[in-house]
Amino acid sequence: MKIAYRHLVQHIEESPSIEHISNKLFQLGHEHEIDGDILDMEFTPNRGDCLSINGLLRDLAVFYTVDLNQEVFTEKLNELQLDFENLSKNTCPKISFLKLEIDKVPETYKNSLDNYFTDLGLNKNNFFTDVSNYLSYETGQPTHCYDAKTMNGKLLFHEIEKNVEFETLLDKKITLKGKNSVFSLNDNIINLAGVVGGKSTSCSANTKTVIVECAFFQPEAIIGKSVKYDIQSEASHKFERGVDPECHDRVLRRFIKLVSDHVNIKDMSIISYKYKDNPIHQIPVYVKKINQIIGINISEKEYLNYLSKLGFVVEEGLIKVPSFRSDIKTQNDLAEEVARVIGYDNIAISKISIPNNERTNNKAIENKLRFFLLDNGFYEVINSPFVSLAAEEAIKVDNPLDSNREYLRTNITNSLLENLLFNERRQKDSIKLFEISDVYSSSNGIDKKRKLSIIASGRVGENYTDFSKKINKKYLVMLFQEILPNEVFDFKIVSRDLLDTKIKNEIVSLEVDINRFSNDILSYKEVSQSPEGFAQYSPISDLPSSIKDISYSIKDYSKTQELQDLLLNYKSDIIKNIYIFDYFKNEKQEEIKIGFRFTFQSKKATLNSAEIELVYNEIVNKSLNISGISIPGL
Amino acid sequence: MPDHKDITPPELIKDRGSLHPINHMKDSIMELLISFGFEIVDGPEIETEEFNFDMLNIKKSHPARQMHDTFYVENKSNLLRTHTSPVQIRGMLEKKPPLAFISGGKVYRKDDDATHLPMFHQVEGIYVDENVSFAQLKDLIYKIIHSLFGDDVELRFRPSYFPFTEPSAEVDILSKEGKWLEILGCGLVNPVVLENCNIDSNKYSGLAFGLGIERIAMLKHGVTDIREFYKSNIDLLSQFK
Repeated sequence: MKIAYRHLVQHIEESPSIEHISNKLFQLGHEHEIDGDILDMEFTPNRGDCLSINGLLRDLAVFYTVDLNQEVFTEKLNELQLDFENLSKNTCPKISFLKLEIDKVPETYKNSLDNYFTDLGLNKNNFFTDVSNYLSYETGQPTHCYDAKTMNGKLLFHEIEKNVEFETLLDKKITLKGKNSVFSLNDNIINLAGVVGGKSTSCSANTKTVIVECAFFQPEAIIGKSVKYDIQSEASHKFERGVDPECHDRVLRRFIKLVSDHVNIKDMSIISYKYKDNPIHQIPVYVKKINQIIGINISEKEYLNYLSKLGFVVEEGLIKVPSFRSDIKTQNDLAEEVARVIGYDNIAISKISIPNNERTNNKAIENKLRFFLLDNGFYEVINSPFVSLAAEEAIKVDNPLDSNREYLRTNITNSLLENLLFNERRQKDSIKLFEISDVYSSSNGIDKKRKLSIIASGRVGENYTDFSKKINKKYLVMLFQEILPNEVFDFKIVSRDLLDTKIKNEIVSLEVDINRFSNDILSYKEVSQSPEGFAQYSPISDLPSSIKDISYSIKDYSKTQELQDLLLNYKSDIIKNIYIFDYFKNEKQEEIKIGFRFTFQSKKATLNSAEIELVYNEIVNKSLNISGISIPGL
Repeated sequence: MPDHKDITPPELIKDRGSLHPINHMKDSIMELLISFGFEIVDGPEIETEEFNFDMLNIKKSHPARQMHDTFYVENKSNLLRTHTSPVQIRGMLEKKPPLAFISGGKVYRKDDDATHLPMFHQVEGIYVDENVSFAQLKDLIYKIIHSLFGDDVELRFRPSYFPFTEPSAEVDILSKEGKWLEILGCGLVNPVVLENCNIDSNKYSGLAFGLGIERIAMLKHGVTDIREFYKSNIDLLSQFK
């Protein structure tokens, strides 16, 4: 909600700066951003009472001298004769109507009404709607204006539960579905209560006689309606969060005053219906409890002083909660009020000592498995459980984000297969992935299984002993047999027949319940460790990469290390990866053959062959400067 | 002449994999909290409305319970938990105070953009004992934040609203660029929640806190798009060895 600084400060005697007010608002828990002279407020859902100038001022009154007494019409009003019936008094326990007739529609606005539109850069609508909108901004109470000329017949407030077309005053046609609270006139719906009025009875630029509705609706009846019907409604935002049930007379008298500031009122009358008393909530004064909750030590006098500034009244040991604070019900609520006023950051820390609990590690096997897999070059992944295909016993999401995410996966392997193909498309030729996750199905009610799934394909590794070995079922069986010789796992070869890929490498997978692993795994001594810190991410490139291999012949063995130092540490913006893919010592010929693989990739643009050749030639030239080495065939 | 005897093959650099950065962050935070005295409790990701909402004082009318915020499954008989708090409810129903639990894992909400995903991770903690105060909560939060972001980091507490805590707070840290960044939510356990778990709220009080793992991982690793974490791209994963 946008609030102009000057609309606030004009009611504050100390005339604080916008920064000063901003600091106090943060202290009170009212998050906002400052844009010039505008405070863009974001209130927590429990503070519907703050959604107005007056609401904010009531909270700021704890720090400043605030004048909340805007002028209202004070004279006696005639009783409005209105054919109205309320068939849903629980939803709307209080409602008032004001009828006004003016002599002419004003051409320009004055004072606060004019400032509202000018300072917030808002578009005007028609006079009565504009007054209503401003009043909502000033007081927090939404009102709805009907053109009185259209209001002939019996007005009914009631709940409906049927599909019915409704055209809003925003020219939007919607179909009301399910349960809705509405106003009807002669059986035609003219207002979706608390959300938006109808076109048929809305005011226009020519409206001279208006019926203003001022109501209290139970938030539960309004919540979700604006989202359901995709209607931006400030009124529903306020009703959902709760408005002050005791403000109607003052709000409607303020309406009259605002109108009379602009034009002559020829006739006016009012009627209020109150079906249920709004109980005054009372909480015992118990400062010891407040001090205990917050961890402070304030006196009762200080405590009550804070509450009094916030509009609470204390009588006979009871704190009377103001009607606009529907969020205050318990001692903890009051403690929060006090803590806000003191300032959370001003509350001194009290040392905490949590008794040490027994450390149980029910993830010991799972964690051992993770590090065993890390040691063997597997990367841990996390996948979304939402899938499009309805596997047998898959759990269906009632309200999916879209039809591609309508079910919960019943296996992890399919997710890993997608991950594998994703990486293959990015020219990865050694892919080893695993995921440990709960998997749910609806076999016997809701069945939960914690599973490990692994998938692997391509080279065993990017080093000179593993480069030429390909991942296959035997490789994985051997890997697991080394650490779990007594257990047999059902590794599967995934067919590529239906996959959109030309790569032929065997894909091997395993999916198994974590419970399936015995404690034998706990004796495995891992090499990998959790990273000590948190590495800074370097943005990755999705551009194509190119590979270049260089094989050297070394006669002077002492130069081997020098070559490695040069090449493995070679820096270039377009070199992504370097490793030794081949190493062979030929004793007979007294020669070492060593091969280096370079992966070229730019983060900016697809590399052309000239760009790659430039760096490649530089590498070759620098390496050949080392005596005793050569590149056969060059 | 080359020395044939002394030459050793190049160091065999074995490929090692890496933990997923989100799991690594979650594990790091859980380890930290365990060192403070918390005990891990686990619970299901498919929950009932009772445990996910009712027991936590989230009323039927609360917007979080609408179909546009929460994933419901199996004809609305269950839902995908929207936070890890129901695990703590289960823990409180099982054990008597004093108790100190943490739970971490996947949670689900109907969001999908550069900063929100329908699935994300949380770690939450709860401590219930006699005379637990907001001032003690502050001490714990300072310890957590300083452990995660260093002793020099500036932080602030802001009043906020969660139905299951009262008073409630959100905690921000000041970034190097001078911007306040929201890090966690916390508060004193609402007495209604304690009573729902058969804990005498006149005798006991509690503190609770919750951290969004992705949010902290994005800050610590410098990742700006949350979706990067879940592409399973080896180029990304290999950066976090």
